[in-house]
Amino acid sequence: MVHQFPALIIAVPLIAALSTPLIGWKSSNRCYYWAVLTLALVTFFAIGLLRSVILHGPISYHQGGWAPPWGIEYYVDYLSAFILPIIAIVSLLVIIYSKHSINKELAGRQMPSYTLMLLMITGLMGIVVTGDLFNVFVFLEIASLSCYGLIASGQGDAPLATFRYIIMGTIGASCYLLGVGYLYMVTGSLNLADVSHLIPPLYHSRVVLSAGVLMLVGISLKMALFPLHSWLPNSYAYAPSSASALIAPLFTKVAAYLMIRVMFSLFQPDFFVKIIPATTVITWLAVTAMMIGSFYAIAQNNLKKMLSYSIVAQIGYIALGIGLANKAGLTGALLHILNEAFTKGCVFLVVGAIIYQTGDCTIDHFKNLFRRMPFTMGAFTIGVFSMIGVPPTCGFFSKLNLLMGCIVDHHWVFVAALLISTILNVIYFFRVIKVASFEKPEADYNRKIPYDQIRMQEVPLSMRIPIILMAAGILLAGIFSGTITNTILIHIIPAGF
Amino acid sequence: MKTFILALIIIAGSLLIYGTQDMPNWGDPQSPASTHVSPYYIQHSMIDMETPNIVSSVLADYRGYDTMGETTVIFTAAFVCLLLLRRRNKEQGDQ
Amino acid sequence: MLDLLLSKYNYWLYVILMMIGLYAMLAKRNLVKKLIGMNIFQTAVILFYVSISVKTGHVDVPILPYHHHGHEQAAINVAHYLNPLPHVLMLTAIVVSIATAGVALAVLILIYRKYGTLQEDEILKINKEVGA
Repeated sequence: MVHQFPALIIAVPLIAALSTPLIGWKSSNRCYYWAVLTLALVTFFAIGLLRSVILHGPISYHQGGWAPPWGIEYYVDYLSAFILPIIAIVSLLVIIYSKHSINKELAGRQMPSYTLMLLMITGLMGIVVTGDLFNVFVFLEIASLSCYGLIASGQGDAPLATFRYIIMGTIGASCYLLGVGYLYMVTGSLNLADVSHLIPPLYHSRVVLSAGVLMLVGISLKMALFPLHSWLPNSYAYAPSSASALIAPLFTKVAAYLMIRVMFSLFQPDFFVKIIPATTVITWLAVTAMMIGSFYAIAQNNLKKMLSYSIVAQIGYIALGIGLANKAGLTGALLHILNEAFTKGCVFLVVGAIIYQTGDCTIDHFKNLFRRMPFTMGAFTIGVFSMIGVPPTCGFFSKLNLLMGCIVDHHWVFVAALLISTILNVIYFFRVIKVASFEKPEADYNRKIPYDQIRMQEVPLSMRIPIILMAAGILLAGIFSGTITNTILIHIIPAGF
Repeated sequence: MKTFILALIIIAGSLLIYGTQDMPNWGDPQSPASTHVSPYYIQHSMIDMETPNIVSSVLADYRGYDTMGETTVIFTAAFVCLLLLRRRNKEQGDQ
Repeated sequence: MLDLLLSKYNYWLYVILMMIGLYAMLAKRNLVKKLIGMNIFQTAVILFYVSISVKTGHVDVPILPYHHHGHEQAAINVAHYLNPLPHVLMLTAIVVSIATAGVALAVLILIYRKYGTLQEDEILKINKEVGA
């Protein structure tokens, strides 16, 4: 049964997305329950795949029965099995949360929104599970197109931000496609395992060098690695709350997964370390991303824009871990992908709850928010601790691994950059917490109520529970990070690191 | 600004042209792309599928999964247009 | 040098087409021109792929002559038929590029409804006046 899961994990959300218009044309509640049911099933498949890969090893599924390289192969190994439950659980919690939020912000347009959300999850799952290079492009475009649509439906400056994102995202996908074309031209095959066996004799040919560089540039554009990050802050800041909570934790991290795939499974790690010094370039760009993201985040007054710049900085951490190309660095990068998915999911859900309750997310308007929304802001505090790196949240362990990876290779500049950016994270996040909890004006900002009479006005239960579960997920991931490292991550790291 | 972009474009273009030196010649029948996977398609398309059009048989059968992805892309684009452009008569006039 | 040019000139042409598209995407101020540049870029990649499938000599398109059942089939000589795989991949890529262009045009309609113009500098000026 588990051997059918790689196909089912794509087929189920796809069929659900195709039938959402039939089910929910008039009633948006039915769309919501249909989406929750689908994602519960997808989570079951993802966890089943993870369990099967841990117990029995990688799973290979031949689409249509044709053997690779003549047909398309789905290959679930430890890396894919690690990422799949992350996507499934985060998207399940966000969709559970989305009922009231979508009814308020996208009234009358719920059915297309749920369809596009399910399609985006299909696309992301497809990128992770497939073993064929062109198939990655097709699913990348499914995910990207639904992303564009979800972001453009927001308020304010959303359409212009989306247009910039479309232009830059298409350059990225086309560069990746061109890289795949170069590899096809010199090997004749599109299967990932097949190409990775055929290209080592050709490592010094200019075509393979260009292919590697083109694929990395394209993936960096999708991943928002500095200097190709300028589409991200505006896009995620103006999107509707549920859409940004779904896209922000997942999309850039799946692009980071793709970068790990290309750098360590498709090409041998030596290619990007010795033949092209791509890892050096990536680590320096990552350090710049950390600094620039943190500096811009300090200057923001809109909480959503600040979190979007924080994403740019955290992608810098992940890219640093990938670029270090040693055991601790890659472990840190993978743990940071897990951490980022849950943390950004938690804080974007919190921002959505604040917008639902108070109407905007300007930080200066947050006075007494801790008293009015204790559960939400408590979860926000846990998310902040994880981004700073306070034990026992997962952020502490991922940063520890990254620091050890830098120290092992004697990159003292990177160690300094990690510590400085941690301090900058503390500055801008504690400003939010300080405004929300420690300021006691004479009257509450919006309602002119005396301080002692402020009562708790929390968001509805269907929004509160996913937020609390995400915060619990951050703590659990931190407490069990040793187990995760020893059972799953050990097998992902290439031999020889 | 435009001269900076023009310089960037010229550098990128020359790097790409530099990368074309090692490519197989145009139309080489012994290139890896023509000898590795595609001979199987040409020789077995009639045997496996009784279809004379090899492009159709690859598109619909050997790599039919990609075609499913492509139709999903069209569906996604249609729903994006539905989400963005549908006017609700009372609320949206001319914004 | 001349030999190099003659045997690989098709790749040079696609690189030039790609760079024209990239310049239009980055340097033009009108949003529709950026969109057209994006389309040119994607078309260059598609043409590049299709050029991989060419074989010199006496070659046919990849459609086999159809024999009715009962007739014997001649052995199929691979060198007489073009490589079908890049054509297949590019059918998908063309569809993807059209879908992206459709989404971009929908977003452009939204931008036009909101700002009344499609010039990027005018939109930024309107934003600055309103949002200041």
